[in-house]
Amino acid sequence: MWFVRIDMTNRSAAVSEAPAKYKYLAGRAMTSTLVADEVPPLCHPLGPSNKLVFAGGITTGTPAPTSARISVGAKSPLTGGIKEANAGSSWAADLAVMQIQALVVEGQPAEKGKYWGAYITYDGKPKVEFFDATEYTGKVLPEVFPKIYEKFGDKISICSIGTAGEFGYGNSGVVFNDLAKRPTRYSGRGGLGAVMGSKGLKFLVLNRENAPGVHIEDKALFDEGRKKMIDALRTHAITKPKGALNSYGTAVLINIMNEAGGLPTRNFSSGRFEGAPKIAGEAIFETNKERLGKELYNHACSPGCIIQCSNTYHKVDGSEHTSCIEYESDWSLGANCGIDNLDHVAELNALCNAYGLDTIETGVTIGVAMEAGVIPFGDGEAAIKLVHEIGKGTPQGRILGAGTETAGKVYGVKRVPTVKGQAMPAYEPRAVKGIGITYATSTMGADHTAGYTIAPEILGVMGKQDPLSNEGKAALSRAFQATTAFIDSCGHCLFIAFAILDIASGYQGMIDECNGVLGTKWTADDILKYGAEVLKKERAFNEAAGIPKEADRMPEFMLKEPLPPHNQVFDIPESALDSVYGEL
Amino acid sequence: MSEITLDVWLYGPLARYGGNAQEKVFANLHPCLPAGTTVRDLLNHLGLPAEERGITFINGDLSAMPGMQPDLDHELRDGDRIALFHLRSMWPFQYRHGAAAIPEMAEALQQSRDMGLHHAYDPGKAPDGEGTI
Repeated sequence: MWFVRIDMTNRSAAVSEAPAKYKYLAGRAMTSTLVADEVPPLCHPLGPSNKLVFAGGITTGTPAPTSARISVGAKSPLTGGIKEANAGSSWAADLAVMQIQALVVEGQPAEKGKYWGAYITYDGKPKVEFFDATEYTGKVLPEVFPKIYEKFGDKISICSIGTAGEFGYGNSGVVFNDLAKRPTRYSGRGGLGAVMGSKGLKFLVLNRENAPGVHIEDKALFDEGRKKMIDALRTHAITKPKGALNSYGTAVLINIMNEAGGLPTRNFSSGRFEGAPKIAGEAIFETNKERLGKELYNHACSPGCIIQCSNTYHKVDGSEHTSCIEYESDWSLGANCGIDNLDHVAELNALCNAYGLDTIETGVTIGVAMEAGVIPFGDGEAAIKLVHEIGKGTPQGRILGAGTETAGKVYGVKRVPTVKGQAMPAYEPRAVKGIGITYATSTMGADHTAGYTIAPEILGVMGKQDPLSNEGKAALSRAFQATTAFIDSCGHCLFIAFAILDIASGYQGMIDECNGVLGTKWTADDILKYGAEVLKKERAFNEAAGIPKEADRMPEFMLKEPLPPHNQVFDIPESALDSVYGEL
Repeated sequence: MSEITLDVWLYGPLARYGGNAQEKVFANLHPCLPAGTTVRDLLNHLGLPAEERGITFINGDLSAMPGMQPDLDHELRDGDRIALFHLRSMWPFQYRHGAAAIPEMAEALQQSRDMGLHHAYDPGKAPDGEGTI
């Protein structure tokens, strides 16, 4: 396995054997360990000391289903803490088959305003060449991607940033190509696009030709695990073909959360949005059917995905408008802004993808701007104009591009839904308190992907606690976060969690696959320990970066303002929040 | 009061039980039914087989999941908002952990294997065939 280090100070590259001490690290475990080991916690996120690390997961690049995930890590310009954001893309598989365990981008060029691309090929070992990419800056990504395919051919995969990353926004993602070569798959959260931009790097282009592929230590065990995983994903109601995700996408959750009274509406002032049914997954499915004259099921975002939850939304004339309207994007750009026009939501989503913005941070920031009276709630056209301002870098656009917390300060808003500087996703913690604990305590800032499944058989870790008690919820959140840190490292999409929590053989399948690739003998307990180690490193980095446990808190308005319709406040005691990491 | 009026929401394919057979996005209706009407009575009134609905809410409180329907004898009150979802909808555990449920549902979850820690309850079969939950 290789470590590829790209130093942007002098545009040099070093390819070396991966250090033995990192042998079993992949995905989030790899990025977070490298950031913890090599990035000074007090450095400026956009300065020369920060490093941007890319790593595929343990099973990435193998035939394991739904395993083409790429983790991107750095010190976050948005939270000031450690960040890992992952995406599904052929780019992940290409990095893995080139046997690159970690790709590290470091340093910073002295010259401002020039941007570069790195083109990575394989000839006995990875090889890096640089090209001048300045001509591709200041443009929208759907314009730029075809030019890079034209330059390097169809077989490549692309990682890039939009203007948001060029402007250094706290709200800026790192984008990867999807299977239709669109710039749509984002490691969106935490401003990682700005870290890449700060290094003068516009593209990382991979060409997998002549790559050796992923070495699998125990092929028979791997195949056994892979079969179990496939069976679980194909059987489960949420992940099976024409099941919930394949039919309606993640936006199937809009109506559910709305009825539960937990769909944050108009900047987290209500848990129910009267326009929800008009923007929900069911509405996307039926609108497409009406406009295309046939049912359209969802597609895979990355090679080897058998869940296939990624949607496309079509205009009145049947042409494609955007891909993909995820639940989080649909909510942040829709319900959270009081917007019930699906075409407006689709346009906002398309613009976020075009400018390189995180949809969650964008929608929540606009919600705060609406609360401040910058534009009215519900005004989709005005919201579209604001996103153009962000993408073009006007003075107001730059304020909004800095993210929700900064916009709240600039506009004097007190209802600012963030934790550790990161905007909250689409589950109201006053209505769903379990997820609120994870928002408050995650090392990433408010994050809906930080606390996923644990296998029933290792529920023993939480002892005999009642899962509905505050202590029980905290214990579950801790176990969830540790398991998630492992799933984020194993290469699989987090959505395997639905199937492997309910189908124990699927959970064993994930472990078998990893043991097959690495030649390890991990058990379910080892998985949890592996995840906990990742969390400990992240936590230690954050503490050294000046983020204490007192940052594991909800914004004050959630403790004081009851949320309709259940009229609840967030009342999980601080002691329970502190126990999540206190007992790790 | 001899009659109650309900606020009924039918989502996705269930919308066809709202009067327009072509509707597939959502339907909102306000049936007047006798006092004492239960969820079972409402489903009969709509002509909606109980097993065709999955996740159900009464006034924002979870009352049923696919394969787990402890709400059939729950008596509805005037003005109640009842939302019925199709079987291709979902609500993963971690996004409902700590959310409100009607007492019958809270008890059913508490008594189920692993105290409700699942993403789906397929009708008639439990995960891994370990018996009905």
